[in-house]
Amino acid sequence: MVNLVNMLREHWVNVLVPLGFVIGIYMDRRNDEKLTAFRNKSMLYKRELKPGEVTWK
Amino acid sequence: MLKILIPTLMLLPTTWLSSPKWLWTTTTAQSLMIASLSLTWLKRSAEPGWLTLNSYLAIDPLSTPLLVLTCWLLPLMIMASQNHISPEPINRQRMYISLLISLQVFLIMAFGATEIILFYVMFEATLIPTLAIITRWGNQAERLNAGTYFLFYTLVGSLPLLIALLILQKDVGTLSMLLIQYSPPTLLPSWTNKIWWAACLLAFLVKMPLYGIHLWLPKAHVEAPIAGSMVLAAVLLKLGGYGMMRMVILLDPLTKELAYPFIILALWGAIMTGSTCLRQTDLKALIAYSSVSHMGLVVGGILIQTPWGFTGAIILMIAHGLVSSALFCLANTVYERTNTRTLLITRGMQTLLPLTATWWFIASLANLALPPFPNLTGEMAIMASLFYWSEWTLILTGLAALITIIYTMYMFMTTQWGPVPPSMNNIEPPHSREHLLISLHLIPILLLILKPELVWGWYY
Amino acid sequence: MNPYVLMILISSLGIGTTLTFMSSHWLLAWMGLEINTLAIIPLMAQQHHPRAVEATTKYFLTQATAAAMILFASTTNAWMTGEWNIQQLSHSPSTTLVTFALALKIGLAPMHFWMPEVMQGLDLTTGLIMATWQKLAPFAIIYQISSTTNPTLLTTLGILSTLVGGWGGLNQTQLRKILAYSSIAHMGWMIIILQFMPKLTLLNLMIYIIMTSAMFMMFKYNNATKINYLTLTWSKSPVLATLTMPMLLSLGGLPPLTGFMPKWLILQELTKQNLAITASIMALATLLSLFFYLRLCYAMTLTLSPNTTNTSSTWRIKSPQMTMPLATISTLTIMLLPITPTIFSLIM
Repeated sequence: MVNLVNMLREHWVNVLVPLGFVIGIYMDRRNDEKLTAFRNKSMLYKRELKPGEVTWK
Repeated sequence: MLKILIPTLMLLPTTWLSSPKWLWTTTTAQSLMIASLSLTWLKRSAEPGWLTLNSYLAIDPLSTPLLVLTCWLLPLMIMASQNHISPEPINRQRMYISLLISLQVFLIMAFGATEIILFYVMFEATLIPTLAIITRWGNQAERLNAGTYFLFYTLVGSLPLLIALLILQKDVGTLSMLLIQYSPPTLLPSWTNKIWWAACLLAFLVKMPLYGIHLWLPKAHVEAPIAGSMVLAAVLLKLGGYGMMRMVILLDPLTKELAYPFIILALWGAIMTGSTCLRQTDLKALIAYSSVSHMGLVVGGILIQTPWGFTGAIILMIAHGLVSSALFCLANTVYERTNTRTLLITRGMQTLLPLTATWWFIASLANLALPPFPNLTGEMAIMASLFYWSEWTLILTGLAALITIIYTMYMFMTTQWGPVPPSMNNIEPPHSREHLLISLHLIPILLLILKPELVWGWYY
Repeated sequence: MNPYVLMILISSLGIGTTLTFMSSHWLLAWMGLEINTLAIIPLMAQQHHPRAVEATTKYFLTQATAAAMILFASTTNAWMTGEWNIQQLSHSPSTTLVTFALALKIGLAPMHFWMPEVMQGLDLTTGLIMATWQKLAPFAIIYQISSTTNPTLLTTLGILSTLVGGWGGLNQTQLRKILAYSSIAHMGWMIIILQFMPKLTLLNLMIYIIMTSAMFMMFKYNNATKINYLTLTWSKSPVLATLTMPMLLSLGGLPPLTGFMPKWLILQELTKQNLAITASIMALATLLSLFFYLRLCYAMTLTLSPNTTNTSSTWRIKSPQMTMPLATISTLTIMLLPITPTIFSLIM
């Protein structure tokens, strides 16, 4: 238990980069939604999406 | 794109908040993780064109190999600097690593930029950390001169580029690389347009460097510490090549006539700098001039504007980046032990550092473009496309390849074979860190032999 | 100096500039300029050092000449056209004369010769006021007459100032003279865009004031007046030594720092007006200034001076000076480029 606390205190900085990775993935997903706002809206060529499908994959 | 950029930015607080005992381990490990993540970019999807699109950043088959090379190089740079920076106070060590990381951030944004002005701003932004690395942590008094040459050569080339880009913005209306490929400016061969053409390319030609304007490179490479030399040789020169490949799309049809003197100058420069290598006494200067020689071929490949030319250019850029960086690391192993770069003093290393001699051998073979290394693929593609343009270039390119072989073998034989000079009596054996460093450089080269299509650019 | 006197002088300084800002009548603007000049004269000479008195005299003579020229031009214009409004200056010899007078006031080439010597004679705080506050009132007038000025004259003044500011500063070791030549070069950039987009002149002025204040405050912190004195900054405050390098490069206009913003916008406007050659000349002339900024970077940050100060622990002792303004302004000097659209829309 003591070792765990010491290890956390010494190595907590290692969580910063994976945290950045998670934030990056989240922001990329939000950006995908923002940039594809106009997809699948054409009167002639639009189609109903299957449940759970997104327009950019 | 953000999933690599934000972790790289988070490396900065990681550097400053780590405990001193774990600083180098943490930064190396985390940057290696980011580098492995960046390998996912190499996966080619079915849709052509730009991927992982953002409002400002995107990747496409041209920028992906260079981005992966950049991300791969950061842990290698940190590993290479560990030994010579460790005597310094902890905050200076942190500052050094922060400079490497900020350089990395600027490079990722430069290669990923979709707007040409963002590329320009990041292209210039890479000058500042590199200047700091060269002049603050270099070892000789000449480093100040090297920094000045580096900064001013690049700026004199890039300020006309800025004005050319602003003129392009005025005429075409957009500078987004996604849009401008569909509406390039119409270029009649007037004097104004010719000067504009030259202004667009001058910055990248200085950065490549082209033979007549290459004087900053030997100075900067020699005076920089190992991480500086690595990043300069591997990535910063390729910024010039990448920029040229992006701009050249817009510069048809003027390039057909105007590229003539530059191609010839580049090929002549390849021969001249190769010949200079044969007479060099400084090991790092030899590798620096070898960089100029290879980049001369790349300039020829880009300006010729054929698919094989571009493919050869980009493969040669990636392969040369890895091999040149490996050679600088090998030169650094000798320099850290003997504190000299003079070729005649650092002889007979095979007896003293046997496994490093293997690395020297592989790196030298790659440098002299032995088949099946990707360096050969690049050189062959460029030579073939130049031959198709004009048969006489075969004399120049063939001579350049021959001289490359001669000086690379000269470098290998002088440093590795022969009697050990009596002054070398306290060479410590190589560290595992150094072996790891060089193998991490050379393993991608060996793997690229198996699948060079990863770095072929658009013509996969 | 007696605090009451100091208060009167500084408030007069403020009143003079404010008077010029709010006036639309030439005489009122001239009065504001004269109050400004008169208020700063005792501030400049307060140390009674012969060098300071010499600088004060030179400053007074040049500024009085400039103010007299302004008065002459505006009365000529009033005589010929009947208009006292600053924005209605239409008589063409008057506009030329007013442009020359204002160029003399702010130190544009070829009327720049007083600037380095005056700046050298002042202490750093007064030099800061001279380089920043004293430029505000003339620029208020310049902004208002921007529509009627002679374009050739402005372009000549601009290019000449940038070249003179660059070449003149190359041989200097005194920091105040270096900042004077830097001021001349930046004024050149400001004046050249006046004919096309006067708001960019104001933007450049604001960014220049931020950067120059940062430089003066940094020199004041180190109490440095020569390049040699800068070399010991690393022992006094390592953070400041590190931060000064981006500050100096920002002054030189390198991206991605703040100083790039006005240069970029000005070059964009010049190319939109088909003046690409002028833009190229201005851009390349700025490289001359960058050389001596780089020399300051070398002296301060990028080399370690072998000597140290007499006390070994200078950096442990907190400085008695206020560091908050320096911290804020140096951050602004380095980091403002990403919010260029916001700043641009604020002044539009």
